[in-house]
Formats: sequence, structure tokens, C-alpha cells
Amino acid sequence: MTPSLPSTVTRRTFLRAAGVTLALPMLESFQPRAFAAGRTAPIRRMVCVCAPLGLHPAAFFPTQAGKNYALSPYLEVLKDFRNDFTVISGLQHPNVGSTHDSIYSFLTGAPHPELRAGFRNTVSVDQFAAERIGGQTRFPSLSFSAEGFGLSWTRSGALVPPDLYPASVFSRLFLDGRPDEVEAQARRLRDGRSILDAVSEQSKRMQPTLGARDREKVDEYFTSVRELEQRMATSEEWSKKPKPKVEAKPPQNIQNSADLIGKTRLMFDLMHLALQTDSTRLMTMLLLGTSQVPPIQGVTQGHHDLSHHGQDPEKIAQLKTVELEKMKALRDLLAKLKATQEQGESLLDRTMIYFSSNLGNASTHSTKNLPVLLAGGGFKHGQHLAFDQKNPVPLCNLYVSMLQRLGIESERFSSGTGTIPGLEMA
Amino acid sequence: MIAPHKIFPLLCSFCGLAALSFGAAEVKPQLDSQVAAFFEKNCIHCHGPKKSKGDLRLDQLTADFSQRENFDRWHEIASRIESGEMPPKKESRPDAAQAKAVVRLITTRLDQAAAKRRATEGRVVIRRLNRVEYENTVRDLFGVDANLKDLLPLDSSAEGFDNIGDALHISSFSMDRYLEAADTALNQAIANRPKPPAMQKRIRLTETQHLRSTGEKVFRIRDDGGVVMFSSSAWQKVLLSPFYPSERGRYRFRISASATQSAGKPVTFQVWSGSAGMGGPRGHLVGYFDAPADKPKLIEFVDRMEPKTSISILPYGLAGARDITKVGAAAWTEPGLVIDWVEVEGPLNETWPPESHRRLFGDLKQVSSPIYNQRDRVEVVSESPQADAKSILLKFARRAFRRPVTETDIKPILALVEARLAEKYSFEKAVRVGLMAIMASPEFLFLNEGRKGDTPVASASVSATNGDKSVAAPKLDDLALASRLSYFLWSSMPDEELLTLAEQRKLSQPATLRAQVERLLNSPKSAAFTENFTGQWLGLRDIDFTMPGHLLYPDFDDMLKVSMVRETELFFAEVLKRDLSLANFIASDFTMLNGRLAKHYGIPGVDGWEFRRVSLPPGSHRGGLLTMASVLKVTANGTTTSPVTRGAWVLDRILGTPPPKPPEAVAQLEPDIRGATTVREQLAKHRQIETCASCHVKIDPPGFALESFDVIGGWRDYYRVRGSGKPVTLDGRKMSYRHGPKVNPADVLPDGRAFHDIDELKKLLLTDKDQIARALTAKLVTYATGGSPESADAPAIGDIAQKIKTKNYGFRSLIHEITQSKLFQEK
Repeated sequence: MTPSLPSTVTRRTFLRAAGVTLALPMLESFQPRAFAAGRTAPIRRMVCVCAPLGLHPAAFFPTQAGKNYALSPYLEVLKDFRNDFTVISGLQHPNVGSTHDSIYSFLTGAPHPELRAGFRNTVSVDQFAAERIGGQTRFPSLSFSAEGFGLSWTRSGALVPPDLYPASVFSRLFLDGRPDEVEAQARRLRDGRSILDAVSEQSKRMQPTLGARDREKVDEYFTSVRELEQRMATSEEWSKKPKPKVEAKPPQNIQNSADLIGKTRLMFDLMHLALQTDSTRLMTMLLLGTSQVPPIQGVTQGHHDLSHHGQDPEKIAQLKTVELEKMKALRDLLAKLKATQEQGESLLDRTMIYFSSNLGNASTHSTKNLPVLLAGGGFKHGQHLAFDQKNPVPLCNLYVSMLQRLGIESERFSSGTGTIPGLEMA
Repeated sequence: MIAPHKIFPLLCSFCGLAALSFGAAEVKPQLDSQVAAFFEKNCIHCHGPKKSKGDLRLDQLTADFSQRENFDRWHEIASRIESGEMPPKKESRPDAAQAKAVVRLITTRLDQAAAKRRATEGRVVIRRLNRVEYENTVRDLFGVDANLKDLLPLDSSAEGFDNIGDALHISSFSMDRYLEAADTALNQAIANRPKPPAMQKRIRLTETQHLRSTGEKVFRIRDDGGVVMFSSSAWQKVLLSPFYPSERGRYRFRISASATQSAGKPVTFQVWSGSAGMGGPRGHLVGYFDAPADKPKLIEFVDRMEPKTSISILPYGLAGARDITKVGAAAWTEPGLVIDWVEVEGPLNETWPPESHRRLFGDLKQVSSPIYNQRDRVEVVSESPQADAKSILLKFARRAFRRPVTETDIKPILALVEARLAEKYSFEKAVRVGLMAIMASPEFLFLNEGRKGDTPVASASVSATNGDKSVAAPKLDDLALASRLSYFLWSSMPDEELLTLAEQRKLSQPATLRAQVERLLNSPKSAAFTENFTGQWLGLRDIDFTMPGHLLYPDFDDMLKVSMVRETELFFAEVLKRDLSLANFIASDFTMLNGRLAKHYGIPGVDGWEFRRVSLPPGSHRGGLLTMASVLKVTANGTTTSPVTRGAWVLDRILGTPPPKPPEAVAQLEPDIRGATTVREQLAKHRQIETCASCHVKIDPPGFALESFDVIGGWRDYYRVRGSGKPVTLDGRKMSYRHGPKVNPADVLPDGRAFHDIDELKKLLLTDKDQIARALTAKLVTYATGGSPESADAPAIGDIAQKIKTKNYGFRSLIHEITQSKLFQEK
């Protein structure tokens, strides 16, 4: 199979036009299946973003359903993209109770994070997808966060440690390092693999004396070691290929820990670069929900404090100011993706941008009627799908729709048992 | 197929999901005929051959509890029937008595199954170190202070603690981070360079960039070169810019400081460490210090510095910069902080190579081994690499695995290092690969309590109790006991004394164990117990979760927040140290205060940052944990308080009777600070509905009593509101909030006993000290063993509570009773 890509030249040209030069890594074994089959089915991608303090419902949801709904104050920000997104009301995770802890289940749908006892997380939708389509890019998936933890969880319910600092993400994605650094990295991988080999032998020594539940734990360890070994083998392959080059300057990490918009924009910019260089096709991003006062004009109180507005009109006004800034950051990401072309299509049409929150009404920590917005990705957009809040649709049904859009033949995911009616592929 | 081994399949809702095949099992659920009849009547039409909602077919569910999934399913069925969630509301209701009986039957059978499993596998599952324990362990293993916690992914919690084996998972991602953490630790432990030059200098604040560049006249420069800082405005902090080290390491700071114009009172100041001063992403609070009036005091501390960082100083509670500028610092008559000079010395290295290096390599020689960007690099070499490598690794593995180690035990690792040596890796690099492998081994990462009996069960070591109905689990051997003990009280590995006692199998002797518990508690390392246990039991780790808004709470500041947590930790440590009654946790006649907190509580005569034991005057409404500002803050949301949240907190954390989860359909209270309605009026509706009332009569009363305290733990007679209300003036200044409705803290306990306020409620709570003791015992056992007690453990817990009753409920006695108990000594 030769990587005969008739459109590569065009793609490079377009990318260059968009401020990017790159050497596309075209490892045969990592080519998209569709390419390998000689067809040029579009690459599908997914980005999941969560605003952990909700989005003020009265300002987010339109009052009418259907195609010709009037834009709400928040959606007004996105008016240029009206036909590039769908807004959905009446979605919730069926068994996720009302606390901030619902964040753990945002992309997993795992039941009852609010019960302190016995909660176990399950795989998040991005990692579920990464297990199936992640091998095609340098990074199977990327998890970003402006908080300490992130949105992505492994099959065993362990947190995927998120990247917090844009500067180091940039260097991982685009900077090759000096020859001695490359050599050191290659040795690290080689040593790492041999260490993993030895410790999996060690773990076998532990097993015979253990009871069944303990063995499950050691098995989990064993599986982790094996998976890391495989990943390191893949990384070793990729490390021999030069990284894509971009013209964008390496970002400076934001020093002000309260600057949630600055952090969001910086990560969004990186996401755009990662997508257009095809470094990964699956990303998650947890925005900052800080108790500190963000540096936004007219905002004098912490974001978390504002979300518990207690109906104080002044607090609600400030809350809206903060959240409008988030919407603007989203708008600018959509604009960049739309302006970037790939094989004659906009990157937006090939990238699902899922923007939502684990809280429906942060003031009461309600997890009902989550504010859901899905942009791009090749759906028939331009509508408000309003489901009956008394008979809510599982949010994971949306995840099934998204998985199918990625080309993963999945009828179910977590509490999702079907797709979202009315959300059709374009 | 989705998620092939769902862990809580049933939880994923009855309305569909989780394909779980029960294979060819045609076994009927013959758990019991009564249960079968109940299912037949109430459940089978949705969960049977016709429909199988939630993929649950009760006609096919086996009673084989050895399968964990099955066990969990039955558990879930029982709890859903019990909560009334199933059958669903729209179906006809089952007979309440029957439902209760069925739940009891299932629960009994589940308990029996749990007992059986426990006899072979133990109550708890082996647990890996959480990231706090990992960092502490590496610190004690090497003797280096590396920040590794933040490299590792966040740990999941269960049962309210983050050291629960069941909830601590591992993934390829965390494995990757363990390799990185090991590498980072070894980089710091092994000296690959000659001794870094130490510096020592005395800096005057006049030399700092800040004093030279600020335009505001808020500093007075004295003839003797000292600087008086008058302003507490955040932007007037002074970064000690002439100190900007290029070497990472520990540095000693000496600050000569005093207070001036302060009417004989001390002035408190804070010291931050970090790149950008206050609160930058990498900064941390070194601490608050008191400068005594007029006579300079030498304030000394040691802090770990990263290269190119410094410290900054800011007085607390003094005037705003703008006020001072109007008058000028020269004419300013309010209190000031005098900093004569700051002396810095470091990096502190008593020996070179450092202790951490020698622990690994002993006296092996180092030779020059330059690389690209480090000309002066050195490496350890060996005349007999194979033999030296082996002995280094064996010695390290014993401490890392917390047990004696033979060559066979680490064969794969020794083979790995030999292969590296054969590949012409340098001696040091080859050994390093082996050390990393040991640190990535399961026996390092997990507390291996699963080793099977090389220790005979010494029945004498566990006191037999009368009428002990609790079930047995395999007894821990001495080595596992040593680790359990040190991770309980130190959140770290056993030290040499503990490990040696365990190797000699002496640790499980009651007197030896008691002496070791005393030794561990008396060590400074036991601060980890106070911090990690109270941090989670009382939720103090959430102290930063909300930031009270400055309009409603202008009286909140960082020093108050830090002081809150400190009070609770010091109080806990005091009760522990002096073996005081745990009744003190409910009500006490003393607490630990500094000036800031005393002002917050309205208690006169306490100044400065330093904490001290203070006898509480009558009518203070303080004393005990419930009325500590820290607890009151973490149970509020920064704007409003909810009696439901606080009441549920008291039930769960203090009384050990956590309320069941609220039904799905119930709307949350919508807080309203505009002043029109009180939360009591909103809740009154709740309590009129019978189904709500059954729980809320228990939850609400302690919550109402705590309504006398606002979100930052200040006493209140009136709610603070932003809308209409009575204007408030304090110290002659008009406040940004107003007085809203009056607080009414009175209520009635479920047993009919009424109380007017929190003081009376505390008295009522103390009438059943046994309950308080049992609840705390259960929390401690959970934290100490990495798993919560099961229902079968109720007698054992009751037994412990009885024993400490005869010791005036002494808290230190409780720690001893727990460590001497089977619950602690069995897996």
C-alpha cells in the first residue's frame, strides 16, 4: 500500500495558506483505514469541551424549538455559525445526582458519582473512541484541562492525566528537540519498555498467593503495563518521524491562575493546530471553574461564587459577562476551523465540537437539562432539538450519535441506548 | 458490545443498558421462596421473560454471590427496593412490610456471602499507594524532597477517603507517570555533579527592585538601613529580588523583624515562595510570622527553592497603600512592619555526595563523565559492576518492598540490569534502570497484604472478646502490619525500626505494637495523619473550593482561611496528644486560636499569628468541631448555607448515620439572597410531604442549629442580604451587605427533644457518646485499613467503643484500641 494521496498537495497548500507548514507523518500502518482502502472518506474528529460551572440556563437555551428559533443571548454570539451547530435541551445523565462531582461522569455516564461510597467510573467517550480509532495519529487522544483533573477516563475507571500547560503541549506536538534530546528520548522509551518487561515478570510472582479480588487489582496493573508497552512501541515508531512544523509561535503559559478565558483561548488555539496537523483526532478539554476573580472587565467576584448567585441580579449580570466570554472563545475556535480547509472541506465539517456542562443549573448544582451544543462534524445543523424535560433523553445517546459519526459501529454507550432522533448526518 | 465488563451494570439504570449475559444459566433466583414470590408479584412483568428492562431478568438471576457482578446486582436490587425507587412510582406499590422483609432477606444472604469471601480473601482489597503516600514514601526512601504528587494523576476517593483499595485504579497512563516520577526522584537522589557552591548573603529591602521602582510612598527607610512596611495592599508585597538562586535546593532564611507604632502589639506578615510572588501557579505560602513590638526578633525558616524563584514579604492587616500615600510614609502614624534585613544561606548540603546518593551507592567512586550541555558531570563507577549492582538493588528492594528480599524475589530485575551491563551501559545507568524497575514494581506500588500465612496466627495477640460475632479474615503477617501501621499514622513507609521489628516478628506482640504506636504518634511525621485524616473526614481539603464574595463577606481574607484549617488541625492534634475525650469533638471548653480567628469568633485578648490553647468564655458558642469556621466554610457554598447540606454532613461525618440519597425527582432548593424568603420557609414545604419528612426530620435539625453561622463561620443573628434589608454599620463603616431576616436556629430532634440553639443541640448530641465513638471508629478503621467496615463488623466496632468508654473516651486510647483490634490486624 503506497500512500497515494491525490489531495495531499492541496491539503498542504491549504495548510500553508492557513499559516502552517508541515511534514505530514504518513506511516503506512497508521494511515486512516479509508485511505488505505484507496478511498478518501473524510477524516472524522471529535472535541469535547466542558464548562464545569454550567451555563446560565436562561441565557443559553432558546425559547423556541425547531429550525427557526430565535437565538438566545449566548447563542447570539454564534450567529454567524447558526447553520453549523445544533442546540439541544432536555438531555441529562439518568443516574447522575446533583453535585459538582457529576463532572466525573460527564463523558462517561457512570452512575451516581454523587454517592461518595462505591462510585466507580467507566470509560469516557473519547477513550472509548481512542481504543478503536486512536492508532492512526501520533497521539491517540489528548486530554486538556485548566483544572487539576480532566474529563477522560480509562476502561478501568482511572483518570487520564490531563495536560495543563500549553507550552509543554506545544513542544510535545511540534518541537523535535536537539539530536541528543531525541536520542535520550529514544533511550527512555527503550529502557521503559525493558523495565515494563521486567515488572510484568515481577507481577506474576505476586499473583499465586492472592485472592480473587486482589488478583483483579494485579491484573489491572498487568494490563496497564502491557498497554503502556504497546504505546511506547508506537511512540518509538513515531519518534523516528519528524514532527509537523507549524509557523505559530510556542505559547507562553498563563501566569494568572484566575484567567479562565486566557487559558481557554490558548488551549483552543492549540487544539486547532493539533487538528489541522492531524496530530490527533480526539480531544477533551475541561475549562476552569475557579473560585478566584477572573480578569474580565466588570467582573469583581469569583466565577464559582457568581454561579451560586442566589438570584442576586448583580451576580447574574456578572455571571453572564464571564460566560459570554466563553462563548466568544468558542466562536473564535469555530471560525478558525471553518476557515481551515482539508481536501476541499472545512475542518469544522469534519470535526465535532461538543460544548456543554455537567451542570444544568449550577446555582443548585442541578444535573438536569444540561446545556448541550454540538457544532460541526458533518451533521445537519441549524436547529434547536427540544426534548421533554419530564421525560429526558440520556445524554449518552448523543455520545452514540457522535461515535457513529466517527465511523464506530456502536449501538450503545454507557446509559445511551440509541442515537439522538432528529440529529442527522449531512 | 459496549464496555464488556461493566462494573456496576445494574446501576446503569433499569431503563436500559449493559448487556450482561448470564450465559446458559437457567437457574431460577431461588434465593428464597419469599423473595421469588415478591419478584413474581411486583417485578417480573418488567424484569422477566416478557420485558427485561435494564437487561435485568429476575427469573434468570442466580444466587451465586461468588461472582462479584452478581453480588453487586443483588445489592443494588435490595437498595432500590428499600429506597422505594423500585417498583417505579407509576406501578402499584408493594406491601411495605413485605418489601422490608425481602430487603432483609437479601441483605442477610449478602452478608453471609461477604463473610465467606472475607474468610479467604479478607475484608479489604490490596491497595496501591495514593499520590500523597507515594511522595512521602519516596521522601523517606531516598531522603529527597521532590514534588512528585503533582506528576501523578488524581486519585479517586470512595467512602470519603482517597486511600481505599477498591477505588484506586491503575492505567497505562498512570504507569507512564510512575516511570517519570521514578526518574525525577532518581535525578534528585543521585548526584551527577560536583558540590554546588553555597552562597550566603544579607539583603536589605532597599536593595530590592520593588523598593527602587515603586512610586507609592508606603515605605519608610530608617537610618540604620531597615525598612518599615506600612501597607498590606497586595501590590506592595516586596519580592526579595537580589536573591534569585540558580541552584535548586533547601535554603535557610533569617529575617530580623519587629513591629513599630503598634501600641505594644505584634504585626503579622506572610512569606510567599515562588516565581511571581503571590499565588502564581508555582508559588506557595511559606507561612505567617509575628514580628514583636519594637524589639527585633530573628525569624528563621528553611524552604525548598526551585531555580530562579524567590520569596516575598507582605504585612497583614495594615493600611491600604492609597491611604498612606495621601499622608506619606514619613508622617504615617499607624502600625508598621520593620524588616532590618533578610539573610539567605544555601543550598544546604551537609555532605557531598548527599545522603540520598550515599544511601544508594555507598562510597563508590565517581569519575568525570561529561555530556553535551554539562561539562562537569560525574558518574559512579565500580570495579566489580555485577556484584555491586546486585547488592545495591537488593538493599534498595528491601526498603522499597518493605520486606526482606532475596535474589530470587527480584530475579527479573537483576536480569534486566545484567543485560544492560552486557549492552555496555555504564554502571550507573544500568543500576538506574534497575532502581526504576523496582519503583515501578507492583510490590512497591501496592501494599501487599495478600501474602499468605508465613506467620502463624498468634491468637494471643488479638484479645478475644465476649460475644464476638464478627467474621474472621486472614491475619496480616508482621510485615504487612508494619506497613499498615506506618501508612495509617505517617502516610508513608515503615522506618528501619519498624521494619526490623516486623522482620523479627515482634511487632504483633501487643506491648510492642502499643509502644510503636506511641512512637509513631510522637514523631513529627504523624502530622500526615492529622492532615490527611481531618482533610477528608471533615472535608478540610475543600477549603479553597469556594471563595466567599467580597460584597457579602468583606471580612473574609486569606489569613482567616489558613487560620481556620490550622485551628482544626491543632485542635485534633491536641485531643490526640493528651488523650482527651472525643466528646471534645462535639463540645469543648477550649480551642486553638490565633489573633485573626479570635477576632472572627469575638474572643478578646488573643493577638498575632501564633496559635495557642485558649479557654472559651461563656456564650462564645464555640468549642468542638461543628462550630469551627473551617467546617462551617466547607459545608457552605460561598454565598449561602443550606441546613440540608450541613445537616447531612453532621449525620454522615459525626453521627455515622448518613442519610439516603434524595429521590431523583426532587428539585434542589434554589437559594435566594434577595431577602424575601428564608431557607426555613422553603424547607417547611418539604417537611409537609410525608415521603420527604421521613428523612428531613433527621437531616434538618442539626442544619438549622448551624444556621447561626454564616458561610465563613461567623456568628449571625440575621442573614446577610444584598437586596432590601436593614443597613449595617461596623466600626463606623457602612457595610456592602444588609441585615435580612432573623435566623431561627431552634428545632426538634426526631425523638422529640427540642433545642433553641447550637449550644443546646451540642448537649443533646453528647447524651449518646457511644454513638459518636462508634461513628468515629468506623471512619478511622476505613482510613486505617483502606476499606470501610461491613455490617458484620458492627459488634467489633461496638466493642472498641465500649473499651474506650472505660478510658473516658480518650482519643489516643481509641487509636490504640483500633490498632490492637482484629479489624486492623486482619486483612
